[in-house]
Amino acid sequence: MSLVARRVRWSSGRLATATALGAWAALFWTLLLTGRTYLYLSSRTAWLVPVGAVIFSAGALGRLLTARSAGDEPLDRRSAWMLGAITLPVVLVLALPPATLGTYSVSKRSTFGGSAIGATARDVTGPLDFVDVGAAQSFPSAMRQLEGRAGESITLDGFVTKEASEPNEILLTRYIVTCCVADATVAQVRIVGLEPSQYADDEWVSVTGLVYPFQRDVFVQAEPDSVTQIPVPDQPYLTP
Amino acid sequence: MATRTQAHEQVPAPAAEPRDLTWVWVLGALVAVALAARVAHPNQVAWLRNLLIVFGSLLIEAMPFVAVGALASALIEVFVPASTFAKMASLPRAVQLPAAAMAGLAFPVCECGSVPVARRLARKGLSPAAAVTFMLAAPIVNPVVIASTFVAYRGRDSLWVMVGGRFVIGMLVAICVGWVIGARRPGELLRGAAVGDEPDDHDEPRASRFFSHLTGDLVFMARFLIVGALIAATIQTFVPSSIVDRVAGLPVLSLLAMMTLAFLLSLCSESDAFVAASFTSFGPSAQLAFLVFGPMVDLKLGALYMGTYSKGFLRTVVVVVTAVTLVATLWIQVVWG
Repeated sequence: MSLVARRVRWSSGRLATATALGAWAALFWTLLLTGRTYLYLSSRTAWLVPVGAVIFSAGALGRLLTARSAGDEPLDRRSAWMLGAITLPVVLVLALPPATLGTYSVSKRSTFGGSAIGATARDVTGPLDFVDVGAAQSFPSAMRQLEGRAGESITLDGFVTKEASEPNEILLTRYIVTCCVADATVAQVRIVGLEPSQYADDEWVSVTGLVYPFQRDVFVQAEPDSVTQIPVPDQPYLTP
Repeated sequence: MATRTQAHEQVPAPAAEPRDLTWVWVLGALVAVALAARVAHPNQVAWLRNLLIVFGSLLIEAMPFVAVGALASALIEVFVPASTFAKMASLPRAVQLPAAAMAGLAFPVCECGSVPVARRLARKGLSPAAAVTFMLAAPIVNPVVIASTFVAYRGRDSLWVMVGGRFVIGMLVAICVGWVIGARRPGELLRGAAVGDEPDDHDEPRASRFFSHLTGDLVFMARFLIVGALIAATIQTFVPSSIVDRVAGLPVLSLLAMMTLAFLLSLCSESDAFVAASFTSFGPSAQLAFLVFGPMVDLKLGALYMGTYSKGFLRTVVVVVTAVTLVATLWIQVVWG
Protein backbone atom coordinates (compact mmCIF):
# COMPACT_ATOMS: atom_id res chain seq x y z
CA MET A 1 0.00 0.00 0.00
CA SER A 2 1.47 3.33 -1.03
CA LEU A 3 1.04 6.57 0.88
CA VAL A 4 0.20 9.87 -0.85
CA ALA A 5 -0.43 13.38 0.46
CA ARG A 6 -4.14 14.24 0.79
CA ARG A 7 -4.98 16.64 -2.04
CA VAL A 8 -7.44 19.46 -2.05
CA ARG A 9 -9.52 18.92 -5.16
CA TRP A 10 -12.85 19.78 -6.71
CA SER A 11 -15.70 17.90 -5.08
CA SER A 12 -18.21 16.67 -7.64
CA GLY A 13 -20.90 16.55 -4.95
CA ARG A 14 -20.39 20.20 -4.05
CA LEU A 15 -20.28 21.25 -7.70
CA ALA A 16 -23.56 19.45 -8.39
CA THR A 17 -25.19 21.05 -5.34
CA ALA A 18 -24.01 24.47 -6.51
CA THR A 19 -25.53 23.75 -9.93
CA ALA A 20 -28.91 22.77 -8.46
CA LEU A 21 -29.02 25.89 -6.28
CA GLY A 22 -27.88 27.95 -9.26
CA ALA A 23 -30.84 26.61 -11.22
CA TRP A 24 -33.21 27.81 -8.50
CA ALA A 25 -31.46 31.18 -8.45
CA ALA A 26 -31.91 31.38 -12.23
CA LEU A 27 -35.61 30.66 -11.82
CA PHE A 28 -36.10 33.46 -9.31
CA TRP A 29 -34.06 35.93 -11.40
CA THR A 30 -36.06 34.98 -14.50
CA LEU A 31 -39.35 35.55 -12.68
CA LEU A 32 -38.08 38.87 -11.43
CA LEU A 33 -36.75 40.14 -14.75
CA THR A 34 -39.57 38.92 -16.99
CA GLY A 35 -42.46 39.94 -14.75
CA ARG A 36 -43.72 36.35 -14.55
CA THR A 37 -43.81 36.61 -10.75
CA TYR A 38 -47.50 37.48 -10.93
CA LEU A 39 -48.35 34.22 -12.63
CA TYR A 40 -47.58 32.54 -9.31
CA LEU A 41 -47.67 35.09 -6.49
CA SER A 42 -49.79 38.06 -5.50
CA SER A 43 -48.46 41.59 -5.28
CA ARG A 44 -48.51 41.08 -1.50
CA THR A 45 -45.90 38.30 -1.64
CA ALA A 46 -43.95 39.30 -4.77
CA TRP A 47 -41.08 40.39 -2.51
CA LEU A 48 -40.28 36.71 -1.95
CA VAL A 49 -38.87 36.42 -5.47
CA PRO A 50 -35.93 38.82 -5.00
CA VAL A 51 -35.31 37.28 -1.57
CA GLY A 52 -35.16 33.82 -3.16
CA ALA A 53 -32.96 35.11 -5.98
CA VAL A 54 -30.43 36.61 -3.59
CA ILE A 55 -30.24 33.71 -1.12
CA PHE A 56 -30.08 30.99 -3.77
CA SER A 57 -27.47 32.98 -5.73
CA ALA A 58 -25.40 33.44 -2.58
CA GLY A 59 -25.78 29.76 -1.72
CA ALA A 60 -24.76 28.63 -5.22
CA LEU A 61 -21.85 31.03 -5.44
CA GLY A 62 -20.65 30.26 -1.92
CA ARG A 63 -20.84 26.53 -2.57
CA LEU A 64 -18.94 26.98 -5.82
CA LEU A 65 -16.19 29.00 -4.15
CA THR A 66 -15.84 26.38 -1.41
CA ALA A 67 -16.18 23.40 -3.72
CA ARG A 68 -12.59 22.27 -3.27
CA SER A 69 -12.36 19.73 -0.53
CA ALA A 70 -9.67 17.69 1.15
CA GLY A 71 -12.05 14.82 1.74
CA ASP A 72 -13.47 12.57 -0.90
CA GLU A 73 -17.00 13.79 -1.68
CA PRO A 74 -18.09 12.02 -4.83
CA LEU A 75 -21.50 12.51 -6.36
CA ASP A 76 -23.11 9.14 -5.79
CA ARG A 77 -26.02 7.82 -7.81
CA ARG A 78 -28.68 8.57 -5.18
CA SER A 79 -27.50 12.14 -4.64
CA ALA A 80 -27.36 12.76 -8.38
CA TRP A 81 -30.99 11.72 -8.86
CA MET A 82 -32.06 13.66 -5.77
CA LEU A 83 -30.45 16.86 -7.06
CA GLY A 84 -32.11 16.18 -10.41
CA ALA A 85 -35.49 15.93 -8.68
CA ILE A 86 -34.86 19.21 -6.89
CA THR A 87 -34.03 20.86 -10.22
CA LEU A 88 -37.05 19.38 -12.01
CA PRO A 89 -39.59 22.05 -10.88
CA VAL A 90 -37.21 24.73 -12.18
CA VAL A 91 -37.06 23.04 -15.58
CA LEU A 92 -40.85 22.75 -15.70
CA VAL A 93 -41.54 26.37 -14.76
CA LEU A 94 -38.95 27.74 -17.19
CA ALA A 95 -39.77 25.41 -20.08
CA LEU A 96 -43.54 25.71 -20.02
CA PRO A 97 -45.13 28.71 -21.72
CA PRO A 98 -46.71 31.23 -19.32
CA ALA A 99 -50.18 30.11 -18.26
CA THR A 100 -52.89 31.11 -15.81
CA LEU A 101 -55.67 29.31 -14.01
CA GLY A 102 -58.75 29.05 -16.21
CA THR A 103 -62.27 27.70 -16.30
CA TYR A 104 -61.30 24.23 -15.09
CA SER A 105 -60.23 25.54 -11.70
CA VAL A 106 -63.43 27.50 -11.07
CA SER A 107 -65.39 24.40 -10.12
CA LYS A 108 -62.64 23.24 -7.76
CA ARG A 109 -62.65 26.51 -5.90
CA SER A 110 -66.38 26.99 -5.72
CA THR A 111 -66.43 27.04 -1.92
CA PHE A 112 -65.09 30.51 -1.98
CA GLY A 113 -66.74 31.52 -5.20
CA GLY A 114 -70.19 30.16 -4.42
CA SER A 115 -70.85 32.05 -1.26
CA ALA A 116 -67.73 33.87 -0.30
CA ILE A 117 -64.54 34.91 -1.97
CA GLY A 118 -61.13 35.84 -0.76
CA ALA A 119 -61.75 39.52 -0.37
CA THR A 120 -61.35 41.30 2.91
CA ALA A 121 -64.08 43.49 4.34
CA ARG A 122 -63.98 46.80 2.51
CA ASP A 123 -66.11 49.76 1.62
CA VAL A 124 -67.58 49.63 -1.87
CA THR A 125 -67.46 53.36 -2.32
CA GLY A 126 -64.73 54.03 -4.93
CA PRO A 127 -64.67 53.20 -8.64
CA LEU A 128 -66.17 49.72 -8.95
CA ASP A 129 -63.92 46.78 -9.73
CA PHE A 130 -63.81 43.01 -9.44
CA VAL A 131 -62.60 43.04 -5.84
CA ASP A 132 -65.67 45.12 -4.93
CA VAL A 133 -67.83 42.47 -6.57
CA GLY A 134 -66.07 39.78 -4.54
CA ALA A 135 -66.41 41.76 -1.33
CA ALA A 136 -70.12 42.24 -2.01
CA GLN A 137 -70.58 38.51 -2.53
CA SER A 138 -68.77 37.86 0.75
CA PHE A 139 -70.05 40.51 3.12
CA PRO A 140 -73.65 41.74 3.57
CA SER A 141 -72.48 45.27 4.40
CA ALA A 142 -70.52 45.49 1.13
CA MET A 143 -73.49 44.05 -0.78
CA ARG A 144 -75.77 46.72 0.68
CA GLN A 145 -73.34 49.39 -0.51
CA LEU A 146 -73.23 47.85 -3.98
CA GLU A 147 -77.03 47.65 -4.08
CA GLY A 148 -77.08 51.38 -3.43
CA ARG A 149 -75.06 51.83 -6.60
CA ALA A 150 -77.26 49.69 -8.84
CA GLY A 151 -77.37 51.01 -12.38
CA GLU A 152 -73.90 52.54 -12.27
CA SER A 153 -71.48 51.85 -15.09
CA ILE A 154 -68.72 49.31 -14.48
CA THR A 155 -65.85 48.05 -16.64
CA LEU A 156 -64.48 44.61 -15.83
CA ASP A 157 -61.65 42.58 -17.36
CA GLY A 158 -61.87 38.83 -16.98
CA PHE A 159 -62.15 35.52 -18.75
CA VAL A 160 -65.30 33.89 -20.01
CA THR A 161 -66.83 30.95 -18.19
CA LYS A 162 -70.06 29.43 -19.41
CA GLU A 163 -72.60 27.39 -17.48
CA ALA A 164 -74.69 24.79 -19.26
CA SER A 165 -77.61 25.60 -16.97
CA GLU A 166 -77.66 29.27 -18.02
CA PRO A 167 -77.67 29.32 -21.84
CA ASN A 168 -78.52 33.04 -22.08
CA GLU A 169 -75.64 34.53 -20.15
CA ILE A 170 -71.92 34.23 -19.69
CA LEU A 171 -69.95 34.46 -16.49
CA LEU A 172 -67.03 36.84 -16.36
CA THR A 173 -64.49 35.40 -13.95
CA ARG A 174 -61.42 36.65 -12.19
CA TYR A 175 -59.28 34.93 -9.56
CA ILE A 176 -58.37 36.77 -6.41
CA VAL A 177 -55.05 35.70 -4.89
CA THR A 178 -53.94 36.79 -1.46
CA CYS A 179 -50.61 34.99 -1.29
CA CYS A 180 -49.94 32.47 -4.04
CA VAL A 181 -52.10 30.83 -6.68
CA ALA A 182 -52.76 27.93 -4.32
CA ASP A 183 -55.12 30.18 -2.36
CA ALA A 184 -56.88 31.59 -5.44
CA THR A 185 -60.54 32.30 -4.93
CA VAL A 186 -63.16 33.19 -7.49
CA ALA A 187 -65.08 36.40 -8.22
CA GLN A 188 -67.75 36.18 -10.89
CA VAL A 189 -70.36 38.40 -12.45
CA ARG A 190 -73.17 37.33 -14.74
CA ILE A 191 -73.16 39.18 -18.05
CA VAL A 192 -76.54 39.47 -19.72
CA GLY A 193 -77.38 40.95 -23.10
CA LEU A 194 -74.73 39.06 -25.06
CA GLU A 195 -74.89 36.01 -27.31
CA PRO A 196 -72.95 33.33 -25.37
CA SER A 197 -72.15 31.30 -28.47
CA GLN A 198 -69.92 34.13 -29.69
CA TYR A 199 -67.56 33.72 -26.76
CA ALA A 200 -65.34 30.81 -25.86
CA ASP A 201 -64.39 29.55 -22.43
CA ASP A 202 -61.15 31.10 -21.14
CA GLU A 203 -61.31 33.97 -23.65
CA TRP A 204 -60.20 37.23 -22.00
CA VAL A 205 -62.55 40.16 -22.57
CA SER A 206 -63.21 43.64 -21.25
CA VAL A 207 -66.88 44.35 -20.63
CA THR A 208 -68.54 47.67 -19.88
CA GLY A 209 -72.13 47.68 -18.67
CA LEU A 210 -74.53 48.59 -15.90
CA VAL A 211 -74.19 46.74 -12.62
CA TYR A 212 -77.22 45.22 -10.86
CA PRO A 213 -76.68 43.23 -7.65
CA PHE A 214 -79.41 40.72 -6.87
CA GLN A 215 -79.31 38.57 -3.75
CA ARG A 216 -75.78 37.10 -3.78
CA ASP A 217 -75.28 37.48 -7.52
CA VAL A 218 -74.01 40.48 -9.42
CA PHE A 219 -75.35 41.03 -12.93
CA VAL A 220 -73.93 43.33 -15.59
CA GLN A 221 -76.20 44.44 -18.42
CA ALA A 222 -73.91 44.82 -21.44
CA GLU A 223 -74.25 45.66 -25.12
CA PRO A 224 -72.35 43.51 -27.64
CA ASP A 225 -70.33 46.50 -28.85
CA SER A 226 -69.14 47.19 -25.29
CA VAL A 227 -67.17 43.95 -25.25
CA THR A 228 -63.59 43.83 -26.50
CA GLN A 229 -61.15 40.96 -26.65
CA ILE A 230 -58.02 41.60 -24.59
CA PRO A 231 -54.76 39.73 -24.04
CA VAL A 232 -54.11 38.03 -20.71
CA PRO A 233 -53.12 40.88 -18.36
CA ASP A 234 -49.63 41.11 -16.89
CA GLN A 235 -51.23 40.61 -13.49
CA PRO A 236 -53.96 38.05 -14.21
CA TYR A 237 -54.84 37.63 -10.55
CA LEU A 238 -56.21 40.37 -8.36
CA THR A 239 -55.11 41.06 -4.81
CA PRO A 240 -57.67 42.34 -2.31
CA MET B 1 5.40 19.07 -4.71
CA ALA B 2 3.45 20.86 -7.42
CA THR B 3 -0.02 20.05 -6.15
CA ARG B 4 -1.60 21.75 -3.15
CA THR B 5 -1.67 19.65 -0.02
CA GLN B 6 -3.16 20.04 3.41
CA ALA B 7 -0.72 19.88 6.32
CA HIS B 8 1.44 16.85 5.85
CA GLU B 9 -1.29 14.35 6.45
CA GLN B 10 -0.64 10.97 4.93
CA VAL B 11 -3.49 8.72 3.95
CA PRO B 12 -3.62 5.46 2.06
CA ALA B 13 -4.02 5.91 -1.68
CA PRO B 14 -7.54 4.86 -2.68
CA ALA B 15 -7.98 2.12 -5.19
CA ALA B 16 -9.10 3.45 -8.56
CA GLU B 17 -12.87 3.19 -8.94
CA PRO B 18 -14.88 3.41 -12.15
CA ARG B 19 -16.29 6.92 -12.56
CA ASP B 20 -20.04 7.13 -11.80
CA LEU B 21 -21.75 8.78 -14.74
CA THR B 22 -25.24 8.92 -13.24
CA TRP B 23 -25.15 12.69 -13.49
CA VAL B 24 -25.12 12.37 -17.29
CA TRP B 25 -28.38 10.41 -17.15
CA VAL B 26 -29.88 12.97 -14.76
CA LEU B 27 -28.91 15.82 -17.04
CA GLY B 28 -30.32 13.95 -20.02
CA ALA B 29 -33.60 13.35 -18.19
CA LEU B 30 -33.92 17.05 -17.33
CA VAL B 31 -33.27 18.05 -20.94
CA ALA B 32 -35.84 15.50 -22.10
CA VAL B 33 -38.42 16.94 -19.69
CA ALA B 34 -37.70 20.46 -20.94
CA LEU B 35 -38.10 19.39 -24.56
CA ALA B 36 -41.30 17.49 -23.79
CA ALA B 37 -42.69 20.55 -22.01
CA ARG B 38 -42.00 22.69 -25.08
CA VAL B 39 -43.21 20.21 -27.68
CA ALA B 40 -46.16 18.43 -26.05
CA HIS B 41 -47.87 21.58 -24.69
CA PRO B 42 -49.11 20.02 -21.43
CA ASN B 43 -50.74 23.37 -20.61
CA GLN B 44 -53.46 22.54 -23.10
CA VAL B 45 -54.71 19.82 -20.78
CA ALA B 46 -56.79 21.78 -18.27
CA TRP B 47 -56.19 19.65 -15.17
CA LEU B 48 -52.48 19.35 -15.88
CA ARG B 49 -52.17 23.10 -16.36
CA ASN B 50 -53.96 23.64 -13.05
CA LEU B 51 -51.72 21.13 -11.29
CA LEU B 52 -48.49 22.59 -12.67
CA ILE B 53 -49.44 26.18 -11.85
CA VAL B 54 -50.46 25.37 -8.26
CA PHE B 55 -47.38 23.15 -7.78
CA GLY B 56 -45.10 25.89 -9.10
CA SER B 57 -46.73 28.61 -7.03
CA LEU B 58 -46.47 26.60 -3.79
CA LEU B 59 -42.77 26.05 -4.38
CA ILE B 60 -42.01 29.60 -5.53
CA GLU B 61 -43.64 30.88 -2.39
CA ALA B 62 -42.21 28.35 0.05
CA MET B 63 -38.63 27.98 -1.20
CA PRO B 64 -37.49 31.48 -0.16
CA PHE B 65 -38.83 30.80 3.33
CA VAL B 66 -36.94 27.50 3.45
CA ALA B 67 -33.85 29.40 2.28
CA VAL B 68 -34.24 31.95 5.09
CA GLY B 69 -34.65 29.08 7.54
CA ALA B 70 -31.55 27.33 6.18
CA LEU B 71 -29.62 30.58 6.42
CA ALA B 72 -30.61 31.00 10.08
CA SER B 73 -29.82 27.35 10.70
CA ALA B 74 -26.33 27.65 9.19
CA LEU B 75 -25.62 30.80 11.21
CA ILE B 76 -26.64 29.00 14.40
CA GLU B 77 -24.46 26.01 13.55
CA VAL B 78 -21.34 27.99 12.72
CA PHE B 79 -21.53 31.03 14.99
CA VAL B 80 -23.50 30.03 18.11
CA PRO B 81 -21.58 27.82 20.54
CA ALA B 82 -23.27 24.61 21.61
CA SER B 83 -22.80 25.58 25.25
CA THR B 84 -25.47 28.27 24.82
CA PHE B 85 -28.09 25.65 24.09
CA ALA B 86 -26.77 23.28 26.74
CA LYS B 87 -27.46 25.99 29.33
CA MET B 88 -30.99 26.43 28.04
CA ALA B 89 -31.54 22.68 28.02
CA SER B 90 -30.73 22.52 31.72
CA LEU B 91 -33.68 24.77 32.60
CA PRO B 92 -36.88 23.14 33.92
CA ARG B 93 -39.25 22.15 31.15
CA ALA B 94 -42.00 24.36 32.56
CA VAL B 95 -39.74 27.33 31.82
CA GLN B 96 -38.15 26.05 28.62
CA LEU B 97 -41.30 25.37 26.64
CA PRO B 98 -43.09 28.71 27.10
CA ALA B 99 -39.76 30.48 26.48
CA ALA B 100 -39.25 28.50 23.27
CA ALA B 101 -42.78 29.35 22.12
CA MET B 102 -42.24 33.04 22.87
CA ALA B 103 -38.95 32.95 20.93
CA GLY B 104 -41.12 32.59 17.85
CA LEU B 105 -41.97 36.27 18.23
CA ALA B 106 -38.47 37.05 17.00
CA PHE B 107 -38.52 34.76 13.97
CA PRO B 108 -40.80 36.16 11.27
CA VAL B 109 -40.92 33.31 8.76
CA CYS B 110 -43.60 30.79 7.93
CA GLU B 111 -43.72 27.12 8.83
CA CYS B 112 -41.36 25.94 6.07
CA GLY B 113 -38.57 28.11 7.49
CA SER B 114 -38.99 27.03 11.09
CA VAL B 115 -38.40 23.31 10.41
CA PRO B 116 -34.68 23.55 9.50
CA VAL B 117 -34.08 25.92 12.42
CA ALA B 118 -35.72 23.55 14.91
CA ARG B 119 -33.75 20.64 13.52
CA ARG B 120 -30.54 22.61 13.96
CA LEU B 121 -31.46 23.72 17.49
CA ALA B 122 -32.07 20.11 18.53
CA ARG B 123 -28.76 19.02 17.02
CA LYS B 124 -26.91 21.82 18.79
CA GLY B 125 -28.12 20.72 22.20
CA LEU B 126 -31.44 22.44 22.85
CA SER B 127 -33.92 19.93 24.22
CA PRO B 128 -35.96 18.46 21.34
CA ALA B 129 -39.18 19.32 23.19
CA ALA B 130 -38.22 23.00 23.22
CA ALA B 131 -37.06 22.89 19.59
CA VAL B 132 -40.38 21.40 18.48
CA THR B 133 -42.33 23.91 20.59
CA PHE B 134 -40.44 26.70 18.85
CA MET B 135 -41.01 25.12 15.44
CA LEU B 136 -44.77 24.91 15.91
CA ALA B 137 -45.25 28.27 17.63
CA ALA B 138 -43.04 30.48 15.45
CA PRO B 139 -45.23 30.37 12.31
CA ILE B 140 -48.24 31.51 14.36
CA VAL B 141 -46.96 33.94 16.97
CA ASN B 142 -44.47 35.92 14.87
CA PRO B 143 -45.25 39.61 14.28
CA VAL B 144 -45.84 39.28 10.54
CA VAL B 145 -48.53 36.66 11.08
CA ILE B 146 -50.15 38.65 13.88
CA ALA B 147 -50.22 41.70 11.60
CA SER B 148 -51.64 39.78 8.64
CA THR B 149 -54.37 38.29 10.84
CA PHE B 150 -55.19 41.78 12.10
CA VAL B 151 -55.45 43.15 8.56
CA ALA B 152 -57.59 40.25 7.35
CA TYR B 153 -60.14 40.69 10.15
CA ARG B 154 -59.99 44.47 10.47
CA GLY B 155 -63.47 45.93 10.67
CA ARG B 156 -65.13 42.78 11.96
CA ASP B 157 -66.61 42.14 15.39
CA SER B 158 -64.46 39.05 15.75
CA LEU B 159 -61.16 40.92 15.18
CA TRP B 160 -59.68 40.50 18.66
CA VAL B 161 -61.03 36.98 19.08
CA MET B 162 -59.19 36.00 15.93
CA VAL B 163 -55.93 37.83 16.61
CA GLY B 164 -55.76 37.01 20.33
CA GLY B 165 -57.25 33.54 19.96
CA ARG B 166 -54.78 32.56 17.27
CA PHE B 167 -51.84 33.72 19.36
CA VAL B 168 -52.96 32.11 22.62
CA ILE B 169 -54.22 28.83 21.16
CA GLY B 170 -51.14 28.59 18.93
CA MET B 171 -48.86 28.95 21.96
CA LEU B 172 -50.94 26.48 23.95
CA VAL B 173 -50.92 23.82 21.24
CA ALA B 174 -47.17 24.18 20.63
CA ILE B 175 -46.40 23.86 24.35
CA CYS B 176 -48.65 20.81 24.65
CA VAL B 177 -46.84 19.05 21.80
CA GLY B 178 -43.50 19.92 23.43
CA TRP B 179 -44.77 18.54 26.72
CA VAL B 180 -45.86 15.26 25.13
CA ILE B 181 -42.47 14.89 23.45
CA GLY B 182 -40.99 15.32 26.91
CA ALA B 183 -37.48 14.17 27.57
CA ARG B 184 -36.75 12.46 24.26
CA ARG B 185 -33.17 12.91 23.10
CA PRO B 186 -32.20 14.26 19.65
CA GLY B 187 -31.18 10.77 18.53
CA GLU B 188 -34.65 9.49 19.37
CA LEU B 189 -36.51 12.34 17.71
CA LEU B 190 -34.50 13.14 14.60
CA ARG B 191 -34.35 10.66 11.77
CA GLY B 192 -31.14 8.69 11.33
CA ALA B 193 -30.27 10.58 8.18
CA ALA B 194 -31.08 13.88 9.82
CA VAL B 195 -28.74 13.13 12.69
CA GLY B 196 -25.79 11.74 10.83
CA ASP B 197 -26.05 13.22 7.37
CA GLU B 198 -23.37 15.84 7.87
CA PRO B 199 -19.64 15.10 7.95
CA ASP B 200 -17.45 16.16 10.79
CA ASP B 201 -16.20 19.34 9.13
CA HIS B 202 -14.63 21.20 12.03
CA ASP B 203 -11.24 21.16 10.29
CA GLU B 204 -12.63 23.16 7.39
CA PRO B 205 -12.58 26.96 7.17
CA ARG B 206 -15.60 28.66 8.70
CA ALA B 207 -16.88 29.90 5.30
CA SER B 208 -16.78 26.41 3.89
CA ARG B 209 -18.63 25.04 6.93
CA PHE B 210 -21.22 27.78 6.66
CA PHE B 211 -21.98 26.99 3.02
CA SER B 212 -21.92 23.27 3.69
CA HIS B 213 -24.66 23.67 6.27
CA LEU B 214 -26.63 26.23 4.26
CA THR B 215 -26.70 24.14 1.11
CA GLY B 216 -27.09 20.90 3.03
CA ASP B 217 -30.21 22.16 4.80
CA LEU B 218 -31.60 23.65 1.60
CA VAL B 219 -31.22 20.42 -0.34
CA PHE B 220 -32.47 18.33 2.57
CA MET B 221 -35.65 20.37 3.04
CA ALA B 222 -36.28 21.03 -0.66
CA ARG B 223 -36.80 17.39 -1.57
CA PHE B 224 -39.53 16.91 1.04
CA LEU B 225 -41.10 20.25 0.23
CA ILE B 226 -41.36 19.26 -3.43
CA VAL B 227 -43.12 16.01 -2.53
CA GLY B 228 -45.54 17.82 -0.20
CA ALA B 229 -46.26 20.55 -2.75
CA LEU B 230 -46.96 17.97 -5.44
CA ILE B 231 -49.45 16.13 -3.23
CA ALA B 232 -51.14 19.40 -2.21
CA ALA B 233 -51.37 20.55 -5.84
CA THR B 234 -52.81 17.22 -6.93
CA ILE B 235 -55.51 17.36 -4.26
CA GLN B 236 -56.33 20.98 -5.09
CA THR B 237 -56.65 19.97 -8.73
CA PHE B 238 -59.05 17.09 -8.25
CA VAL B 239 -60.93 17.69 -5.00
CA PRO B 240 -63.44 20.57 -5.02
CA SER B 241 -63.17 22.64 -1.88
CA SER B 242 -66.96 23.00 -1.85
CA ILE B 243 -67.16 19.68 -0.03
CA VAL B 244 -66.64 21.46 3.29
CA ASP B 245 -69.53 23.90 2.76
CA ARG B 246 -72.14 21.35 3.78
CA VAL B 247 -70.96 21.20 7.38
CA ALA B 248 -70.56 24.94 7.94
CA GLY B 249 -73.36 25.10 10.50
CA LEU B 250 -72.58 21.91 12.43
CA PRO B 251 -70.85 22.42 15.80
CA VAL B 252 -67.92 20.00 15.87
CA LEU B 253 -67.86 18.95 12.24
CA SER B 254 -67.35 22.54 11.09
CA LEU B 255 -64.14 22.68 13.14
CA LEU B 256 -62.91 19.37 11.80
CA ALA B 257 -63.83 20.36 8.24
CA MET B 258 -61.82 23.57 8.44
CA MET B 259 -58.85 21.73 9.95
CA THR B 260 -59.03 19.21 7.12
CA LEU B 261 -59.18 21.99 4.56
CA ALA B 262 -56.16 23.70 6.13
CA PHE B 263 -54.31 20.38 5.92
CA LEU B 264 -55.16 19.95 2.23
CA LEU B 265 -54.58 23.52 1.06
CA SER B 266 -51.11 23.79 2.69
CA LEU B 267 -51.19 27.58 2.75
CA CYS B 268 -48.49 29.84 4.12
CA SER B 269 -49.18 31.09 7.65
CA GLU B 270 -48.34 34.63 6.65
CA SER B 271 -51.37 34.90 4.40
CA ASP B 272 -53.77 32.16 5.39
CA ALA B 273 -55.82 34.62 7.48
CA PHE B 274 -57.08 36.23 4.27
CA VAL B 275 -58.34 32.89 3.06
CA ALA B 276 -59.85 31.98 6.43
CA ALA B 277 -61.62 35.34 6.55
CA SER B 278 -63.34 34.55 3.26
CA PHE B 279 -65.14 31.56 4.79
CA THR B 280 -67.98 33.72 5.99
CA SER B 281 -70.34 30.76 6.25
CA PHE B 282 -68.15 29.40 9.06
CA GLY B 283 -68.02 31.01 12.49
CA PRO B 284 -64.93 32.47 14.22
CA SER B 285 -64.21 29.20 16.02
CA ALA B 286 -63.98 27.20 12.78
CA GLN B 287 -61.85 29.90 11.20
CA LEU B 288 -59.56 29.81 14.25
CA ALA B 289 -59.26 26.04 13.90
CA PHE B 290 -58.11 26.63 10.31
CA LEU B 291 -55.58 29.27 11.39
CA VAL B 292 -54.06 27.27 14.25
CA PHE B 293 -54.06 23.81 12.68
CA GLY B 294 -52.78 24.73 9.18
CA PRO B 295 -49.38 26.20 10.15
CA MET B 296 -48.65 23.12 12.29
CA VAL B 297 -49.98 20.26 10.19
CA ASP B 298 -50.46 20.27 6.44
CA LEU B 299 -49.44 18.17 3.46
CA LYS B 300 -46.14 19.86 2.70
CA LEU B 301 -45.23 19.97 6.40
CA GLY B 302 -46.15 16.29 6.70
CA ALA B 303 -43.52 15.49 4.08
CA LEU B 304 -40.96 17.72 5.84
CA TYR B 305 -41.70 16.14 9.24
CA MET B 306 -41.41 12.61 7.84
CA GLY B 307 -38.04 13.46 6.34
CA THR B 308 -36.72 15.23 9.42
CA TYR B 309 -38.14 13.38 12.41
CA SER B 310 -38.34 9.78 13.50
CA LYS B 311 -41.23 7.46 12.87
CA GLY B 312 -44.14 8.35 15.09
CA PHE B 313 -43.38 12.06 15.34
CA LEU B 314 -45.92 12.97 12.70
CA ARG B 315 -48.53 10.86 14.48
CA THR B 316 -47.79 12.56 17.80
CA VAL B 317 -48.04 16.02 16.26
CA VAL B 318 -51.27 15.24 14.39
CA VAL B 319 -52.97 13.71 17.43
CA VAL B 320 -51.94 16.38 19.94
CA VAL B 321 -52.46 19.35 17.61
CA THR B 322 -55.89 18.05 16.55
CA ALA B 323 -57.03 17.33 20.12
CA VAL B 324 -55.88 20.59 21.68
CA THR B 325 -57.03 22.74 18.76
CA LEU B 326 -60.42 21.04 18.80
CA VAL B 327 -60.94 21.52 22.53
CA ALA B 328 -59.75 25.13 22.49
CA THR B 329 -61.83 26.14 19.48
CA LEU B 330 -64.85 24.29 20.86
CA TRP B 331 -64.57 26.52 23.89
CA ILE B 332 -64.45 29.55 21.56
CA GLN B 333 -67.48 28.15 19.75
CA VAL B 334 -69.43 27.92 23.00
CA VAL B 335 -68.53 31.48 23.92
CA TRP B 336 -68.55 33.16 20.50
CA GLY B 337 -70.45 30.84 18.19
